[in-house]
Amino acid sequence: MTDRRLNAHHQLLVRALRDPPSLCNISNQDWELLLRLVRRARLLGFLAVELGNAGLLDKIPVRIANHLRSGLIQARKYQQLARWELDRVRWALGEDRGPIIVLKGMAYLLAGLPHAAGRVFADLDLLVLAENLQPIESTLLAKGWQHHELSAYDEHYYRAWTHEIPALIHRERETEVDIHHTLTSPIGRLQLEAAPFREAAVRLPELGIYVLSPPDMVLHCAVNLFQNNELADDMRHLLDLHGMLQHFSSDQPLFLDNLITRANQLRLGRPLFYGLYFCRLLLRTPVPNTLMTRLEQRPGWLALKVMQLCVPLALLPLHPDLPCRGAKLARWWLYWRSHWLRMPLHVLVPHLAYKFYLSVFPSKAANTASSRVTAKTK
Amino acid sequence: MKVEQLSLEEFRARLGSKNGLRIQFGPFVVRIQSFLPSLANPLYRLYAFYTLANDDIAEFHVQIVSKRSLRRPFTPFVQFLVDGQAPFPAAPVHHALTMLEWGINLAIAVRVNHFLLFHCAAVERNGHVLLLPAWPGSGKTTLCAALIHHGYRLFSDEFGLMHVQSGNFFPLPRLMPLKNQAIGAIRDFLPEVTLGPEIHGTLKGTVAHVRPPEASIDREDEPAIPRWIVFPKWTAHQPLQLEEMPRSEAFLLLASNAFNYEVLGEVAFDAVTGLIQRCECRKLVYSDFDSALVALNALTDD
Repeated sequence: MTDRRLNAHHQLLVRALRDPPSLCNISNQDWELLLRLVRRARLLGFLAVELGNAGLLDKIPVRIANHLRSGLIQARKYQQLARWELDRVRWALGEDRGPIIVLKGMAYLLAGLPHAAGRVFADLDLLVLAENLQPIESTLLAKGWQHHELSAYDEHYYRAWTHEIPALIHRERETEVDIHHTLTSPIGRLQLEAAPFREAAVRLPELGIYVLSPPDMVLHCAVNLFQNNELADDMRHLLDLHGMLQHFSSDQPLFLDNLITRANQLRLGRPLFYGLYFCRLLLRTPVPNTLMTRLEQRPGWLALKVMQLCVPLALLPLHPDLPCRGAKLARWWLYWRSHWLRMPLHVLVPHLAYKFYLSVFPSKAANTASSRVTAKTK
Repeated sequence: MKVEQLSLEEFRARLGSKNGLRIQFGPFVVRIQSFLPSLANPLYRLYAFYTLANDDIAEFHVQIVSKRSLRRPFTPFVQFLVDGQAPFPAAPVHHALTMLEWGINLAIAVRVNHFLLFHCAAVERNGHVLLLPAWPGSGKTTLCAALIHHGYRLFSDEFGLMHVQSGNFFPLPRLMPLKNQAIGAIRDFLPEVTLGPEIHGTLKGTVAHVRPPEASIDREDEPAIPRWIVFPKWTAHQPLQLEEMPRSEAFLLLASNAFNYEVLGEVAFDAVTGLIQRCECRKLVYSDFDSALVALNALTDD
């Protein structure tokens, strides 16, 4: 019923993600387009695992299967590198640096979430206590990790306006370590206490580190997607939400109830509402209406209407051959929205002006390293 | 159907069409699109023997597009795009052909993990593959160009495509970019060879592409098992040497030069081990093609 509102290529991708077995009878032309869309969405490994689990990887065109497998091999390599990075960070920090909570991709892997098996992630994200941030950073810097070379502006951007410090990379390796001291921008509209997340975190006995509790993992994912990110080509994060909702609900029948209660408690009704809403809309995640209406801070009808128009156009990849002005506009609007949510106006306007200046005169960025970081902070 | 069966006009029209020019390169199909008038002519001549793959799935979608630079508004630039994204900066318009060829190679190198991708030239004689790995000063492309005009079948001058499970190598006969002095050397040694235009001022100096022989392209779907690995080195005025190379050294050189050895990990380690054990490994020092040919013929004779 919702499909009519999506472009044909979006329908194709969404169908592939929610019902991989239905791909067995699509045309070669559709496969060719789908492969490009899946590659852009960074979901080659995901689809390879899904089709493999259904025993269908040998029933699709062999050239497509080859590229899905290639993507899966790459994803597994990233996973291996991130696991090793985590091992090295634990070794470097020893026992006396307070609790460390692993976030995002690596956490999904450690928690054994089925949808994470073919997931690509390049960074290792860690949440530490704010008071431990400085000693942890010094220890890692002393033991071989380095920051990218940063301009004074980028340095200030990270330290004053974001919830993480500039990425650390060991000089012999490539995996970035992002160390967070809280979960949202300290100057953003949504002020989130990290303490309740820490208190509920689950210890992984064999590693001596923590991951967020299941409801908090879902909430953090929703906050990231609808509060911290610009949503462009971010379908894989919605898929994370979908995967978690399905997996945790099948484990605990009351999971969704608890999730709603927790969201209301932490005042995260809005991002969770969007998360559930778009999971239902695009991936048909089973979430009953009665639960949705229990959420507080739901958006008004106008905000929801605008989001409903824009979010799918941003989350789902553009058609590789057909430009779409509507999608560009939607992405532009969500880009503004994400900045608006993260920064007060007196910070936002000079920040975007500075970035516009850099985009016209790229040579003014101190060096390529800092322009890479600027690209990341956009 | 081959490219040469199209007229130049039809070829140009396909390049500029929505469906693009769809070419079979060994196990891959590449869709190429460009409106650039200066690209169609050399491409038509150099791609003459390739098969048009109109109904097959294309895995790589590339474009050469015109680009204007704000800082140099009157110099025409071109950009290579793969799935709409530019992996390297724009270059002057006369670099279009080298950009296209390098761009396709780059796309293959970063996306393909269902083969172990060695950085080497590969040719076949008497049913078995001879690998010529890239190492500094090897001149693998030059030696490879000489060999394929003397009875060897071209697999590739750049990629050794190993199917890990079977040990088979697959041909990927792409245009072969000769650089700088090698252009003159090959023109002298092989007057019959079809060369593309000399492209000056690229990152690697002057480049001219050798068109692969038709017979090699016709058999681009026939894999073979390698039997010899020869590390070539061109040195002026040196007597020819073809001597045994320790297998451990061959392993390290081969593995450290592969594009996706790290990504494939243990699978790649086992594959290279098996390959090295099955092959004769030699080091070749040569200063002229004739004596190199005699030595390699003797090595690869049945």
